[in-house]
Amino acid sequence: MYKNSNSFITLMSGSKIFLQQVRALLAKDLKTEWRTREIFTSMFVFAVLVVVVFNFAIGADTELIRQVASGVIWIALSFASVLGFQRTGQMESEEDSLQGILLALHDRSALFIAKMLAQMLYLLIVVLCILPLCGVWFRIDFMTCIGELCATFTLGMLGLSIIGTFFGMIALRTRACEVMLPMLFLPVSIPLTIAAVQATTQLIDGKSLRDIADYLVLIGIFDIVFFFLVIIVFDYIVEE
Amino acid sequence: MQKWWSIMFFLMIFPLIYLCINRVFHAIVMYITMNVAIMLVFIYAPTEKMQGIVQKIFYFHVSSAITMFFAFFLVCVASIMYLWKNSDWWDAIALSAAEIGVVFCTLVLITGPLWARPIWGTWWSWDPTLTLTLVLWLIYVAYLMLRIETYDPKRARFAAVLGIIGFVDVPLIRWSVEKWRTLHPKPVLIQEGGTTGLTSAMLLTFLVCLGAFLLLFFYLLRERISVAQSRHALEVLRHDIDEIGVG
Repeated sequence: MYKNSNSFITLMSGSKIFLQQVRALLAKDLKTEWRTREIFTSMFVFAVLVVVVFNFAIGADTELIRQVASGVIWIALSFASVLGFQRTGQMESEEDSLQGILLALHDRSALFIAKMLAQMLYLLIVVLCILPLCGVWFRIDFMTCIGELCATFTLGMLGLSIIGTFFGMIALRTRACEVMLPMLFLPVSIPLTIAAVQATTQLIDGKSLRDIADYLVLIGIFDIVFFFLVIIVFDYIVEE
Repeated sequence: MQKWWSIMFFLMIFPLIYLCINRVFHAIVMYITMNVAIMLVFIYAPTEKMQGIVQKIFYFHVSSAITMFFAFFLVCVASIMYLWKNSDWWDAIALSAAEIGVVFCTLVLITGPLWARPIWGTWWSWDPTLTLTLVLWLIYVAYLMLRIETYDPKRARFAAVLGIIGFVDVPLIRWSVEKWRTLHPKPVLIQEGGTTGLTSAMLLTFLVCLGAFLLLFFYLLRERISVAQSRHALEVLRHDIDEIGVG
């Protein structure tokens, strides 16, 4: 049996092999994505679709749109991210490539960290593309609070990628993957979504970083708790 | 503080009852406690001045809520023990506690609105405690679905991981929804300084009621675990037969 404590020690000591493996896996994923642009396209188009459909549900009231804009953006992102997590998982299950990677790895949490970083990067690019669009459609000037928004979205996307990548690996082994992943992912991510939506709404309303500090702390704690929890239990779910 | 300890002590009795007495005796104790509880609720306990007869649902609502939290806590503990010891017994406990926990959670979600309608004037409000219960229900229903949907032999492990993650999520959900909005009454059971908002007759009734619910929980747990173990034994036998057939 693979000793679980190993992953912790290697991670903490920042072993060279571990970092190399993370980098190699990340490069592999990014290269594949660069050639196909499959995950990014599906996530981006889906997010835009969600925003547009919500727009019809809200109606033409500009003030109302301003109030719910951050909620709509976060819902669009979290729905779109589900597509991405599913796709990255499936990519590895084709032709047993997961087996190959696991055999080659010195420490299996390298796989998790690489996948998570790749997901986070895709999500952040989607955010970069969707924010200007929402700014134009909802008539909101995001530039006034761009730094604070960057912090909120980076922390939020990190949290979503952590639990999403992890549940993606689990959902892969179930009969109805498309159903199971959102069922697992959405309820667990609720605290993050609430805090992120509140923080974004307040930023749009012109509040400062100090006003939303509580929410950022909550998201930060969410990220840290689940990151370490997932690293501890990751070996149990990929172990043969 | 003393009240907290007495309640913790009270909760500790039930696992001991589960471990020490046999099934039939457990059923008899449960039957008697349930009858006494119903009599106490409707005959002995005084009717509350402000809320009237509606307040009686408190005895069932809060008892199911505590039983539910106890069940989900047990899921988390059993999941950790399963990953650590890799024994099927712990897995059976986690599965059984999750199933029964969802049942009690559903009871909380039904009795809550019934109580809220005459008192708050609305069936549902998005206040922290209600939202937390609803999210917990969603997480543990997903837990049960994950067990059904997974074809992998490692399904118990996946479920154990979700059982831990789900329970770790509870304080975070609580924190986030509390910052979001609040309307729920402050707990009347234990207030600041360890005093209680209930009269002693009400408190006695409540404790007997909670006792009945916990006895019921442990009785159902006992039965459900034996079903899970029989099913597992059956699967092992089937597997063996298949191997003999192939060999």
